[in-house]
Amino acid sequence: MTYHYNEAFENPDYRYSETLEIDRSRERNSSFLQNHHDSSLDDDSLYDSYEGGRGQRNQDYPMASMQPGFRYSHSASRPNTNPYGNPHTNPSFEYEPEFAYTSPSTFHAGDGPYVRRASDMSDGGSFSQSYNRRQADLVYRMPSSLLRLDSNAETYDKDKYKHEEKLIKNLASISSKERVKAIQKTPKTMKEKRDIRNKVLMEKTKKSVSSSTQINCCTQCLYKTALSYQRFKNGMSEYLHLLQLWQKTLKVIGGKFGTSVLSYFVFLKWLLTFNIFSFLVNFSFITIPQLIASGPNNLSFNGLELLTGAGYFKKTVLYYGFYTNSTITKTENNSSYDMQLAYIFTIGIYFIICFFSLVYSMAKSFRKNFINPQTYSGSAAKLLCIWDFNITNEKAVKLKQSNLSTQIKESLSEVTLEVLNLSPKQRIARIAVHLLVWMASLGIAAACCAGVYFFSRNNLQLLEGNKSELENEAATLVLPIVVSLLNLLIPFCFALFGLIEKFQYPRHQLYATVIRNVFLKIAIIGILCYYWLNDVATSEKECWESLVGQDIYRLIVIDFIFCLLASFFGEFVRRIIGTKCCKKLGVPEFDIARNVLDLIYTQTLAWIGIFFAPLMPAMQIISFFIIFYVKKVSLMRNCQPPRKVWRASQMTTLFIFLLFFPSFTGVLSVMAVIIWRRTPSKQCGPFQGLTSIIDAVSGWMHILDSYSSSKWVVWIYYNLIGSVHFFFILTVIVLIITYLYWQIIEGRRIMVRLLHEQIINRSSSSYQPYRRAALQMTASIERPFGRNGRDFYVEPSSARIPEKTSLPPADTEGCQPGISETLALALRARQQAEWEMEDNDDEDFRP
Amino acid sequence: MGGSASQLPRDLLGEYQELTFLTKQEILLAHKRFSELLSKEERESILQKRVPKSKILTLPELRANPFRDRICRVFSTSEDGDGSMSFEDFLDMLSVFSDSATSEIKSHYAFRIFDFDDDGTLDRKDLEKLVNCLTGEGDETRLSESEMDQLIQNFLQDRAVMALRPF
Repeated sequence: MTYHYNEAFENPDYRYSETLEIDRSRERNSSFLQNHHDSSLDDDSLYDSYEGGRGQRNQDYPMASMQPGFRYSHSASRPNTNPYGNPHTNPSFEYEPEFAYTSPSTFHAGDGPYVRRASDMSDGGSFSQSYNRRQADLVYRMPSSLLRLDSNAETYDKDKYKHEEKLIKNLASISSKERVKAIQKTPKTMKEKRDIRNKVLMEKTKKSVSSSTQINCCTQCLYKTALSYQRFKNGMSEYLHLLQLWQKTLKVIGGKFGTSVLSYFVFLKWLLTFNIFSFLVNFSFITIPQLIASGPNNLSFNGLELLTGAGYFKKTVLYYGFYTNSTITKTENNSSYDMQLAYIFTIGIYFIICFFSLVYSMAKSFRKNFINPQTYSGSAAKLLCIWDFNITNEKAVKLKQSNLSTQIKESLSEVTLEVLNLSPKQRIARIAVHLLVWMASLGIAAACCAGVYFFSRNNLQLLEGNKSELENEAATLVLPIVVSLLNLLIPFCFALFGLIEKFQYPRHQLYATVIRNVFLKIAIIGILCYYWLNDVATSEKECWESLVGQDIYRLIVIDFIFCLLASFFGEFVRRIIGTKCCKKLGVPEFDIARNVLDLIYTQTLAWIGIFFAPLMPAMQIISFFIIFYVKKVSLMRNCQPPRKVWRASQMTTLFIFLLFFPSFTGVLSVMAVIIWRRTPSKQCGPFQGLTSIIDAVSGWMHILDSYSSSKWVVWIYYNLIGSVHFFFILTVIVLIITYLYWQIIEGRRIMVRLLHEQIINRSSSSYQPYRRAALQMTASIERPFGRNGRDFYVEPSSARIPEKTSLPPADTEGCQPGISETLALALRARQQAEWEMEDNDDEDFRP
Repeated sequence: MGGSASQLPRDLLGEYQELTFLTKQEILLAHKRFSELLSKEERESILQKRVPKSKILTLPELRANPFRDRICRVFSTSEDGDGSMSFEDFLDMLSVFSDSATSEIKSHYAFRIFDFDDDGTLDRKDLEKLVNCLTGEGDETRLSESEMDQLIQNFLQDRAVMALRPF
């Protein structure tokens, strides 16, 4: 019983039963025997750790599908009889994420990979890598094997088997989650992975049998709960999958238009989750209690409310003004619900969760895209990484191919023009034009702000005016319409600047456009916030928060309408014009940047609006849904896939950053000003009568003070949150840690650069002693041939990744070969020392 | 899962989840798509059958892809080298192309896909074929001889490529 139980525990990830895995795998092995013949062809790959049945496969090497670490020459079709095992095995292959090219005839027995990524210690890549190196070491230590063919074949097999055993033992010793991940990451066929896994499990049961002692029932209970919790989690994740929205649509869009257009829709979906979460939270904690304790609404409803948000809606849960400041009690039980605290804490906690979620997404995105020690620009990255495997539509594939062809041809012809040696005069002229355009865009943005401010003051006066109610309300729509028009038309203006302004790289043009548009939108929102916080809040209006809420409601609704109109005119009509009237224009492309910035703008407004109109997220949800479908239909019918290469992941990072930095932080500052610096209105809302909103919390702290059990909360509030010293010390600590990390990153960057150079240096010569001499020689030689030293290449005819027999000078930014040589030798010595250490203990496989 | 005749046994499903990057739904969907490629009688023994390459290439996701031949060949474990795929090969392929696969495994297989002659190196012929796949077979989009030469030369001299050569 104990034995069975151990097995079940040790494989909590084995989701469906608790019987012995070994038994099951044995049964299955028998039924899979006939599949043995379908085994893979990577016989002699160093990753192949499955020993059984290899004897049967000696004869046929039909396709020799090779692992990149393995250079298989067709002449040596019997690796078993080969003295080195595999003369063309390159054990020094480094499992880099970029592509590695094996040099055809060089065999460096002794040089192991000396760059080991410490972060991937537990994944299959580093296993196999270290495995390669062990292999290499073993072979290197058998120099006399050159003459003894057959016996060495056996030794080779035996060693391979021994290594495989070691690998399995190491896999067995790590936790099961890591093991699963490691096996998943090995680039082998399913069959081989399964065999490795079975062997590891056998190993584990052997270990557990030998070391299992009496497990007391306490631990048994714990294991049982762990297992059932695991199963519960797995079940949940299956159902969570069903909640995924729009999976199929996104796949279709990605298939037809590529990853870049898809990134817009993914961003939209991501913003939608923020709104859904906010709506659920606000509705449950703020609105529902209010609905229970609400009064009657005696205002009339006419259709204009949907646009203006005023009128009937004034006395509904939509706005801040409707919420009471009392504590809501049900008559049956005594528990009361303090509306003030609920309001402020719900919104506060929502923003805190948003903050952490944004920071997390941003950091993850940065890590994927920007923190790259060397950005691989240039033709290599272009060729190897450029194909978008997402595209499945035949027409789209042809289009992409023609685009790529154009780009490649353009870049080939531009290579000579790349380094534009501009004369100083031209350079100054260019800079002058840049400055002029920037001044112009800033000026336009400032002019827009002034206009908006004028209209908004106008708006305020209208509310005091004595025209009829309906006209007043209709006139309040002027401000939102003006703002939306500006948002729509000014970006076109900025795009026109592109005609005057010439950039060296198209990427810079894109960034410049994005920054200008962001600046415009943030300026408009900023001036509106200033108007709300300074003019509306301090005016003596009856319920200024509700007024602000109504303003925001109108802005969002009109913006939504304009977005639909822009989609109609910008895409549909443009397509008609492009195909029927003016054929030269062609079908429009989907403008990703403009659309994403529109989304960010709307989301910023919605976030500001949450405080003043708690049900604003509901409107956002509806509008995002409609926008998604409208944009999708418009895209499918009217647009063509983008022509330029758009680095989708980098742009997504930029957009998430923009969502965080001006947008969300701006919202937080506005909230801070409202909560700490503005007096709430006296007659409406949950905070009526208080001098500032934060007084609600302080009041509560006073109340808590009287209870002895919650004194710690009060202590935290007064001494940690309320005190300046705490924040000061915290800031200093955070700054110190940030500085330390920064220095560590700098150090690592230098290390990577040096190693990079070392690799370039090493790639030329065959083995150590010659290389050392060569290095010393070149240390004293100036660069004779420069970077394009094609004279070094030995095989011009085959023109492979060429073999260099002598050392070209490392193409560096001024790094001395001498220094790098010394460092290289030092690094090498250190690496050798490390290997010796590792040979003695097996710690390297543990994560 | 409905009443399909052949379902995956649960332990096998669990095992596939452990050995690949796919989720349970994805494996079941793959099972469904794969069995659609087989004839009715063959569906009983789906795990032992191999689907010929021509049928795999009828899948809409692969049909238009310029690298479809290479993909089939790389993931196929058939000893005849005809590119036929078993269900497990199919799962391997989906696992590597899924979103949760690590970049190491993706780059490993990308190398193999781009290595048209399967010799473990990316030499000039491989690069030529690669560029032809990227630019298509049309007369206008093909690169001329000299353009191809220049492109490959630039490629081989790219600093990143030079730096990644093993030794």
